[in-house]
Amino acid sequence: MVFRVAQRKYLMSKKNSIVILFCITPFLYACTPTTNILKYYLQNQKILDSIQQSYKEQYRQRPFSIQFTDRSFTNVSIEIFTDTLKYIYEFAKSEDRMKDTLLKYHLSVPGINKLIVQMASIHCTWINNLDYYVKGKKEYLVFMSIRPKSVNFPFTNKKYYILTYFLQPQYYDADGRLLDRRYRKKIRKINEDVFKRITDKVAYTISDRFR
Amino acid sequence: MKNFYRFFFHTPFYKIVLVAVSGCYINNASAFRNTTTNDTTPVSTQKDAIFFIENIKNLKSSPYWPHVKPDLFLKNLKENIYTPLSIYEGSNTNFCGYAALSYFPLHDDPLGYAKFMLELFEKGKADFGKVLIQPSPEIMQAAGTLKFKGLLDIRPADQIWFLCLADHFKGYINFFNRHYDAGDENTFWASVNYAKFNRMVKKLFNYAITARGFDLMHPHIFDLYEYIIAKMKTGTVVLYLNNADLYKKKHNTVRPAIPTHFVILLDIIKTEDMITITYWDYGFRSLRQITSAFFKKIVFGISCCTKKISHE
Repeated sequence: MVFRVAQRKYLMSKKNSIVILFCITPFLYACTPTTNILKYYLQNQKILDSIQQSYKEQYRQRPFSIQFTDRSFTNVSIEIFTDTLKYIYEFAKSEDRMKDTLLKYHLSVPGINKLIVQMASIHCTWINNLDYYVKGKKEYLVFMSIRPKSVNFPFTNKKYYILTYFLQPQYYDADGRLLDRRYRKKIRKINEDVFKRITDKVAYTISDRFR
Repeated sequence: MKNFYRFFFHTPFYKIVLVAVSGCYINNASAFRNTTTNDTTPVSTQKDAIFFIENIKNLKSSPYWPHVKPDLFLKNLKENIYTPLSIYEGSNTNFCGYAALSYFPLHDDPLGYAKFMLELFEKGKADFGKVLIQPSPEIMQAAGTLKFKGLLDIRPADQIWFLCLADHFKGYINFFNRHYDAGDENTFWASVNYAKFNRMVKKLFNYAITARGFDLMHPHIFDLYEYIIAKMKTGTVVLYLNNADLYKKKHNTVRPAIPTHFVILLDIIKTEDMITITYWDYGFRSLRQITSAFFKKIVFGISCCTKKISHE
């Protein structure tokens, strides 16, 4: 009798364990962002590279950055740099005011509109050109933040996928971490985050802020 | 100590304590209104400073600042004098308060600033206004080594300036982290609360300050726009703002309504319900159009800094 009760208890606990494991597996899977970001990059590589290329080309005409200010990707903030001032504007995605502003600063209206549509399609919240210094020399990279489509738990910080596109191939250590220079073991940080290799010129990190 | 500090700031308890403490500092800030005008604010011109700095041909390495190259230091000083708006606090540092107050010496007394910086470099200590700045050995070792902060990486004089100010001036916000360790430029060690900012401007540059604001609450001003316009006629206006709203970095639904950023207000125009502000921060002038409600939401402090003139 005692043996049967013990056996039933054991089976019950085993069953419970299986149910619990079954329930938490999706969450555990969701907690592996490194795999997710690599998968995301491979799935969207074509469009990501296209956004980066298009941004660089238009940036040459006039320095600017684009940010989606809301979760639904309907409001856009554009920062436009002139020699003396940085203008910060906020528009609804299809607002006419935006066209007038872009024309005023000699930015390509179809080009920027296409960029905005492409960014929204892959949940890219922020793109800008960031300067960094190597041996005292100024270098540039394109900085893109992506808001992944995953379950949002209340009161938790949302994580963003950050991708950086460098102009030159970079140096990485054995663990794939971005290095400051070739012969120095110092890890380079961008926005206080450590980046890891995707390709020689593209690195990623996961951050709790998008800019 | 750092674990305690983490615990303290990750529980709601800290807000209650900070409200209590900030109250004391608000009173302190309001006391500045009655500053006597017997003494004067030192002033000089950009021309004076250029003449002074261009006559320095050979600057030797300083034993006090082992990681600062004298040529880069001098180049940085010249850049600050020729283009005072280009001073940059570095990306993701808590130096914005020190960068904002740099506006005053670089515009009103660049010669005083240049002389102070050179003396600090050569002697390891120097007087600025009523304050003797004598940095700790940790600061002397750290200056010139800050990296991955953007333009600040190649500006050793600005690193010295920001680190020395953060090392010297302490407010309640620095209570749990008073001594510099590597990386502290991004932590509460470098933070500036409202009363500390006003105190620094007063002591370093001898300005008369009218301060309205709090560290955790909005100031009770009926017409914020009219108040600021009136203050801009008398002096330079510094705004103490909620940076999480000004430069959104997360899409969190709940964001702490805490000011963490200082900007110099250069212009403000109201058209119907929209306010256009031109301000200086991060080494650049920005122009932004926002609603009156949003403006009211982000402003936590307004400091009007006025030069003291002897015959007043």
